Order: sequence, then structure tokens, then C-alpha cells
Amino acid sequence: MSLPPPTPARSEPTVGTEPPLAAARAPAGPWRLVAARLRRSRPALVCGALVLAVVVACLLAPVYAREVAGTGPDENHITDTVRVGSRTLDVVSPTGVPIGPTWQRRFLLGADPNGRDVAVRLLYGGRNSLEIGALATLVTMLLAVLIGTLAGWFRGLTDGVLSRLLDVIWAFPPVLLGVALGVALAIGGLDLGVVKLSSGSLLLPAAIVGVVFVPYVARPLRGQVLALREREFVDAARVQGRGNVRILTGEILPNLTSTIVVFLPLMLANAILLEAALSYLGAGVQDPNPSWGTMLAEGIRLTPGAIHLVLAPGLMLVLVVFGVNVLGDGLRDALDPRAVAGGRG
Amino acid sequence: MNKRSRSLGLVLLALLLAAGLGACGSSGGTGSSASTASSSSPTVTVLMGTPPDSLDPGLGASTQSYEATWLAYTGLVTYAHAAGAAGAQLIPGLAQSLPSISADGKTYTFTLRKGLHYSNGRPVQAGDFAYTIERAIKLGWGNKQFLTGYIAGAEAFDAGRAHTISGISSNAASGQITVKLTAPFGPFLNVLAFPAAGLVPSGTPLKPLPNDPPPGVGPYEIAHVVPNQSFAVLANPQWAQQAIPGIPGGHANIAVKIVSNNQTAAEQVLSNGADVFDWNDTVPGTLLGQVHAQAASRYSQEPTVSTEFFFLNVKSKPFSSQLVREAVNYALDRQALSRLDGGALTPACYLLPIGMPGHPAGPCPYGDPNATVSAANLAKAKELIVQSGMAGTSVDVWSEPHPPHKEYADYYASVLNAIGLKANVKIVAAAQYPATIGNIKTTNPQTGWIAFSQDFPNPIDFYQLLNAESIAPTENHNLSQVNDPHIQSELTALGSVPSSKLDTVTSRWEALDEYVAQKAYIAVIGYDDVPKFTSQRIDFGALVFHPVYGNDWSTLQLK
Amino acid sequence: MARFLARRLLGAAAVLFAVSVLTFLIFQVIPGGDPALRMAGREATPQTVHDVRRAWGFDRPLYEQYATTMEKILDGSVVSYSQQINVEQEIARDLPPTLSLALGAGLIWLLFGVLFGVLGAVRAGRASDRALTVLALLGVSTPIFFLGALMLYYLGYRWGLLPLGGYVPLTRDPWGWFTHMLMPWLALSIASIGIYSRVLRAGILDTLGEDYVRTARAKGLSERRVLVHHVLRNSLIPIVSLWGLDLAAVIGGGAIVVESVFDLHGVGQYAAESIARLDVPPVLVVTLLVACAVVVLGVLVDILYALLDPRIRLSA
Repeated sequence: MSLPPPTPARSEPTVGTEPPLAAARAPAGPWRLVAARLRRSRPALVCGALVLAVVVACLLAPVYAREVAGTGPDENHITDTVRVGSRTLDVVSPTGVPIGPTWQRRFLLGADPNGRDVAVRLLYGGRNSLEIGALATLVTMLLAVLIGTLAGWFRGLTDGVLSRLLDVIWAFPPVLLGVALGVALAIGGLDLGVVKLSSGSLLLPAAIVGVVFVPYVARPLRGQVLALREREFVDAARVQGRGNVRILTGEILPNLTSTIVVFLPLMLANAILLEAALSYLGAGVQDPNPSWGTMLAEGIRLTPGAIHLVLAPGLMLVLVVFGVNVLGDGLRDALDPRAVAGGRG
Repeated sequence: MNKRSRSLGLVLLALLLAAGLGACGSSGGTGSSASTASSSSPTVTVLMGTPPDSLDPGLGASTQSYEATWLAYTGLVTYAHAAGAAGAQLIPGLAQSLPSISADGKTYTFTLRKGLHYSNGRPVQAGDFAYTIERAIKLGWGNKQFLTGYIAGAEAFDAGRAHTISGISSNAASGQITVKLTAPFGPFLNVLAFPAAGLVPSGTPLKPLPNDPPPGVGPYEIAHVVPNQSFAVLANPQWAQQAIPGIPGGHANIAVKIVSNNQTAAEQVLSNGADVFDWNDTVPGTLLGQVHAQAASRYSQEPTVSTEFFFLNVKSKPFSSQLVREAVNYALDRQALSRLDGGALTPACYLLPIGMPGHPAGPCPYGDPNATVSAANLAKAKELIVQSGMAGTSVDVWSEPHPPHKEYADYYASVLNAIGLKANVKIVAAAQYPATIGNIKTTNPQTGWIAFSQDFPNPIDFYQLLNAESIAPTENHNLSQVNDPHIQSELTALGSVPSSKLDTVTSRWEALDEYVAQKAYIAVIGYDDVPKFTSQRIDFGALVFHPVYGNDWSTLQLK
Repeated sequence: MARFLARRLLGAAAVLFAVSVLTFLIFQVIPGGDPALRMAGREATPQTVHDVRRAWGFDRPLYEQYATTMEKILDGSVVSYSQQINVEQEIARDLPPTLSLALGAGLIWLLFGVLFGVLGAVRAGRASDRALTVLALLGVSTPIFFLGALMLYYLGYRWGLLPLGGYVPLTRDPWGWFTHMLMPWLALSIASIGIYSRVLRAGILDTLGEDYVRTARAKGLSERRVLVHHVLRNSLIPIVSLWGLDLAAVIGGGAIVVESVFDLHGVGQYAAESIARLDVPPVLVVTLLVACAVVVLGVLVDILYALLDPRIRLSA
């Protein structure tokens, strides 16, 4: 249990934790309502803006590197010196201790042992962390929707096979599975004939993290589809003689959107966290790409002398994951009025 | 299959519960028994970051293993228990004297001392020597190529074509032991000084005994092994009656604890909570200031006979060009690399390290490693790359994640980029690293980090790395893939000179090493320094830092 | 009931089989991942490598290697590649720290998870509830190893309040055991407290809306009595089942990160180190152990549900 499982559903017969089945048949109207509710939730808005700001800052990393810090993310300045106030300091001391935050343009947040600018690397690393998080979430969602709907709609053998597949992934502890995959694939990359991922590719950790979380989303979706296929409007479509594909895309999927939307931020938050954990255990992002996870892992190795190397990427991670979680909370409340705080009695 | 898996499930669950409950009750017992020494001498605690690969002398081949096993398993010859060059001298161990060597350098004759006993009281027989060597080969000792490669008949024994090694014979009555080699091999006595050649009784099981090491002859015996957690090195009760000159009896019992966090271990020694910080570990740079301030009298940096370098594959672009290799040597700032290693590095340019006979004392051909790279030399490096026509060539820089090796690679890549190449860092898990870079067929790496520590004090050991005969398709050890006729002819001539006569050929070794530096076949980073660090109650001055085996625990004593 | 049980057990067996095959295969796809090369040591001759390959059966077909390995795991004779130590004995040795971690942390996160969950539900919508929500989200959003590193730095290094990692057996030094375990317990608990309190809070709020609660209120029972006897009892069911599963995962070695950060030498750390050494047998055993614990406890939880909640039927 070294990684928080997504809040909804860890045990299958969910009682108090099922995702909202709120907006059945949801065209534009209910969504506008949701948007209006979300707008009223100030914490969600603030955190959304915060996450957006971090994303923008990370996208502007090259600008910061060139215009402010004057160094790229991979440039080493081990034997350089930097002027802080009236003093001239080593970027890295002769015994290998890097300089802490200078709070000025060069080495704003200090340097790492290779004399690289932490602030610059933090922005570049954020790009990788967010990219992997987003890609992993995409992988999870695509696979989960596919497996969940197919299993729930066709039932029988299809369901049996797919559900056992989910059981298998489920039975692995996420970190153990991720680390084993990460270490094994880090050396030669993944070659499935059709898909080829080289060992340095960011897609590799994204795929690993994505796959690990599939059951968490696929199971509730499957349950929902099982319920939906018994509903009148689905029967009606069937009577009209529509095919499986059309019913699935036309009737079932739209009704899953609210659940999917609720899961999106949750999965994004968890994906970023799992990537960090994998990087800590040496199975995540491969050199030379930094990610917050790898930076944090390197920083931890160097404590206690260079705590800024832990605090900078660590606080960034917490900030973004927290922001995404609050946003997700707001979204869920907006989609499911029952769960709104104070909805007592 | 279902049936099997189901019972597996039940078995595992039972194991989980039973082991859980059982271990809960017994955990204290195993832990504390390590500290109950049989003799009255005091107990000294050693903290070790990496557990020995095996405490069975027939299998162990890591420095952590040797640290313990060389005190418990004495061979026919062994090293003097002294620091510096004196410690590299071979002295008679279980043999009465150093052997007589035939004129062709192929026959070694020893005579076993009389009245020797193993730690379990059993008398030592001349035939045990052959059994010991056979056992090390059968178990797959990590350096067994030194045995199978030179002892007559050892190869056939290894391959299963013979039941014994034909080249080893002994006479139980006279104690005479004769070893025949297939070709003269200068450092052969060094090979026999390995703990793997330290005698064990005939009939010792032919399987690894890492948790219950076999009896041996030496001042200590290894006991109470809890794998990956702790073991004890205790005074051998049999030793007192048979003390061998030159091998001290020891003053304390040693309790070794595995603490994988170097930070924690260093803190404990600093605060006198434990006695010895293992020399294979690194005192974190962040703690060094405090160590210098509070413990200057019980901390020192000891040079080791080991070299860290980047290999430069001369068989593929861009390092096929000598100009590029020179450029790398000009541009690498060893001062920067030293900081990455927390200052525990002696910057250098020669393959043979300080302390190894043949280390050249002269200035380096491509810039002074003890100064920051000058702007002129950096410009020169860039110019050489342009001249070579290799500008813009992409280079994969290989390394492994263990600090500071990954940091070295990051820095090295930034240097290569700065002088006009296009470098990309490739990091491979430590367990897989040697196999990956040693594979010419699939990886054929261009350049990367590698470190080499001496197996024994003879320069031929280091020159395996540049010997054309070491080039192999999948387990390549000549990573630069150098095949230089001058090196080959010198190695043939120098390799058969016995270690005891090394002083007659030192200048030739020096010339060869200078030649290699001139050709820039490798880019040397420097020589590793390691910490000698003890608690206050240990007599720091008396503790010998041995050139081959590091901290000599038999010299550990309280003030 | 019997049919349900049989089906679930059969399914569990199939899952365990698949898990073992998958774990085994993961380590086969590594290019040049031939364990014989690593085991033969450095400067091994092709002959040595060949011998090791033969001796360990790496030259046999994959399914045969798998079968032999599984057989050895079942009869308890499987040894690791790298150190050639009996894996199951090693795991048994590593269990005390892992059990200490699991039980201690489990108690803490259950206790505080329930406390904060009930508090949040009772004060739903008020400032204290909001504060608890923020704290819970913060806990869920903090990587365990970041939390662990900060604790080690501040509590251990800067202020010297607690030891810097490691494990002391309970039977040898109870106080030392407690001080060494305190940080790992907290680090492992924080995120779970966040999750549990939120799940419980939502569950209580849900149950408060149920008819039988309204009835109870209508009967004039005190709010406290309604809460404890009617609401909490039902809302605790999912919490306890969640707890069982999480605990099983930690006992089986799932707490890899915490064990590594605090250097506890537990089962999880053993698994992590074995993975780094690409040492298949220990990884296989630990994975099966966790999977087994999760699967078996999953079945138990389902049965428990059926017994506690008459609304759920165990249909085949």
C-alpha cells in the first residue's frame, strides 16, 4: 500500500464509494449546470488556475532558461563560481556540496551536484512529469473505457476473459508491477512488433503507469455499463434495430462521460505520483530527461546537505497533485449534487 | 495447472502466516546472538553498506567478502599485514616458505607447515590444497579464470573431462605440494593468495555455504551469518597454538552489520554508536564538513589501487580518430569530476594508479589533471574535433546509476557537446551494466564509464583492459577494443615476470603506460580515495589500511 | 455459497497462475538478460557461462524453466540467482520489520481515518470539515518518499529526535523498536488516513440519507445513538474491507517505497533490491505472496460482506 489507491472502489461490491451515475442522458443542458456549479466552487477554480499556471510556466521553460537563468537544463557548471551579494561562491564545493537557493537570476533555486540550475531543470522536468501524467491518464482511460464497455456490454466469455485480465493487474501491487516493468524495459525498450518504444522514450513510463491503473477505472465502468444496458432507452435503441457499435457509441458512451470526467483528474494525480515513485526506485524516466520524480530521487540521495534538491521538486509535485485533486473534487461535487458538502439528511 | 496454482496459493498463504508468526517470536534471538563472542576479547562493530557477495571463500569475489575471508582462510601464501607497498609483499602462509619456482617458471613447489589445524580442530592435510582449488572452480568463484587459465589440467577439470586437476600433486607424509602451470604466469603466487585458495578441509560440501562458512585456517572464523543483515568474525580458538609469523592474532571480535544507508552509517560512527565505517562505502559529502570538524583524528582518505576511466572505442567513430581521443583528454576537467566524487578522487591521466609498480611519475601529455582545464586547452580540443572531421558525430555515453557514475556521464556528455560532438547519456541498471557494455554484437558501445580495482599488485592485472586477447564478442573486457602490436609484445614479455621480481621491470611498465596515455586509448578520470573512519574508542593509528584488502580487521584494537 | 466459493477460488487460482507467468516473462524480455552472464562473474570464459547455463537449466525451454522454478518455490527450495540464498528463508527473516510496519501503520491509519471521517461527516460543511478535507487531500497528494525524506531530514537529522532509519527487533529493545518504527508508520499512514477519512465521510453522508436512518430519527433516538448504532456500523463495512486488503498488500511486501526510504530490510525492500539485480526467483515469490494475500483477502471480504449486509447476495 505504498501508493494511495484512487478513492473510488478498491473492493468490488462498492457500497459507499461508487462513482456518480448522476447525469443520465446528458446533452448540453446538464453540462452547463455542471459548469455553473463548478464556477461557484472557489477552491476548485483557484487550484485549476494554479495548475494551469504551472503548466504554462513549464511550457515557457526554454524562455526562462535563455532569458533569465542564462543556462540550459543540461549545462554543467561544476567548477564555476557565482556572485551572491558581495561574495563569490563555488557552484559546487570541492567536497561536492552544491550551492543552495541564491534567490537571484542565476541559480534561483540553487544547483545540483553537476552544477546545473535547479530552477531551469525544475521547469524542464515539469514538462516531462506532466507529459507522462497526461499520456498515462490517456492510456488508462482509453484501455479502461474499451475493456469496461466491452466486458459490460457483451458479458459472458468476453467479460470473463477481460475481468480476469483486470484481476491479474489488480493482484500486483502497483509499485511492484511498475518497478518490475520499468527495470525490465529500461534496458532494451519495448518491442511488440507494432509498437516500438525505445528505452529513453517518455512513452515507456507513461505506458507502464497507464496500464497499472486500468482496473481502477475499468471495473466501475463495467458495472455502470451492466446497469445501463438494462435501461429503457437502450432497449428502445435495440428495438429500433441499431447495431452494437451504434448503441455503444450513441447511447452508452455519452452516459459514461460524467464518470470518466470524474476519474480524469484522479488518474492524472495518481499517474504523476506513481511516475515519481518509479523514478525514486530507479525504474521511471531514464537519463538524461529529468522529471520531478528523478530530481527528487537524486535529491533524497544527497540529503542532508542539499535539502533544496528535495524541497524544490517535492513541493512542486505536491502543489500540482494537490491542485489536480481539488479540481477533481470540485468536478465530482459539480457532477453529483448528492455528494456536496452539507448535503445532510 | 490450476490445481498446482491453487495449492501454491494455500502454501504461500500458510507460509505468510506461519513465517510471520514464527519470525515475530524468534527475531530477537537471531539478532542478538551475533554479539555473544566466545572469547573474552572486546567486540568491535563494523558497518557495511553492501553485503558480501558470499562468505563462502570458494565463491566470494567482492571486496566486502575478501575483507572477512582473508582473515579466516589462509592459503599457502598470503600478504603481509602492513600498509602501503609493504602490504603488497607476499609472505609464506600455510607453506613453510615461499615456493621454489622452476627455471621455466612453470613448476611451483611448496612444503606445508607441520601441526596445522582448521578452526574445527581437524588437522590440515597436503591434499586439501587440491580439493580447495577444485571446490573453488566447481562452485564458480568469480575469478576462477586465474586458476583454470594457468594450472595444468584445471581447464579439463572445469569442463568435466577430468575428476581431478592433473597439475596439482601432493605428498601427505612430507607435506610437499607441487603445482604445474601451462605457461609461466608472473602473478601466479598472487592468485594463490586469494582467500578462494585458502585451505578448506577435503570433503567440504561442493555447494555454496554462505550462511555457514566452512572451517579454515586463520586468526579468525566467520560465524552467525544472517544473510544481508549481519555476521560475526570471531577469534579462532585453534589459532593460538599454531601462530604463523607475519599473521597477527587479532585483538577484538568483529560484529559486522549491514546498513545500506551510508548516511546513517557515517552518522553512527561519527557519534561513536558504531566503530568502523566500511571503506567500500562513501561518507556523504554533506557530512564531510562535520566529520573534519569533529573527528579529524579518526578520519582519513586512503588511496586505493584502482582507476576510473572512460573507455574510447577505437573501432568505431568518432574515437577511431586519435585527434578526437586527444581532444577528450584535453577537455575533461578532472577537477570537476573530483567534485562529483565528493573530492575523494585523485585526478590523473595514467591507467596504472599510484601504488601500482609502473605508475609513471611524469607530466601528462594532454593537459594537467590537477588544474582546471584552461581556455587554451578547451579551444585546442574544439580545434582537434574540427580537424578530425568528426564534428557533430553522435556519441552514446554509457554508465550505471550508482553515484557518482551517472553524474560522471552527465558531465562527460556536456563536455563532449561543448567540444563539438553530439552526446547522449545511456544509463543501465548496475546488475546489467557489465554485460551490456561488454556486448560488441548488440551494444558495441562507443564510450562509457568503467572502474577497475586491482585483483593483485601486479600491473599485468590492469593491462587485461588493453590486451587484444581480452576482446570478445559478448563478454568483452577490452572496451576500447585496442589491438596494438607494441602493447601486445610488451605484455608477452612482462607478463611472465614473477611479482617478486617486478622491481626489475618497473621502468618498462612505466614506458608502456606513458605510451598508452600518449595514444589516448582511454580517458582516465583518476584514482579513487576511500574513507578510513572509526569511532573514538578505536586505536586509529594502529588500524592498518591494507593495499589489497582495505581495513585489516586483525589490527583493530581499542585504545 | 459453496458454488460461489468454489468459483471464486478457481478464479483466484487462475489469477495467481497468470501473475506468476507474467512475472516470470517480464524478466525474460530483457535483451541480453541472460542470468548466466551475470552469475558467471566478470571475466568469465564462454565455457564458464555455458556451465552456469547448464547447471541452472537456462538452456531449457522457457515453460520447463518456469515449471522447475515453480516446483522449487512450492517445496521451499528455491534460491536466488545473485546470492544463491534460499529465498523463502530470506523472506521469513525479513517478515518481522514488514509485519511491524504493517500492523503499526495499519492501526494508525484505521484509527485516524475513522476519527477524521466521522468528524468530517458530523461537521459536514463547516470550517473544521473543510480543513479536514484539505488535509486529507494534502496527504493523498504527497509522495510517500518525499514525506519520508523530509521526516528523516528534520526529525532525524536536524532535530535529532528520532533515529535515521533501520530496524531494531521488538524482542531485543522495545523502545528502540518503537522509535525506529515511528517515522515509517507515519509516512505510510498519512496518505491512507486521507483516503479512509474521505471514503468514510462520504459513506456516512450517504447512509444518513437512507430510509432506515430517517426512521430511526423519527423514532426519536438520540443523534449520537443513530450515528453509532445505525450509521457508523454500516459505513464501516467498506472501510474494514479496504483495510484488510491494504494490510495484506503491505504484509506481502507492497510497502516497497517506505521500506526502502527507512532502510527497514523488510520483504518489500528485498523485492526492490532483487528487481534491481534482475533476480527472478525472489521477485517471483514476493509477487506471488502479495497477489495471494490480495486475492485471498478479496474473497474473504466478499464473504464478510454477504454476512454483514443482507442486501448483498452471493449469487453464482
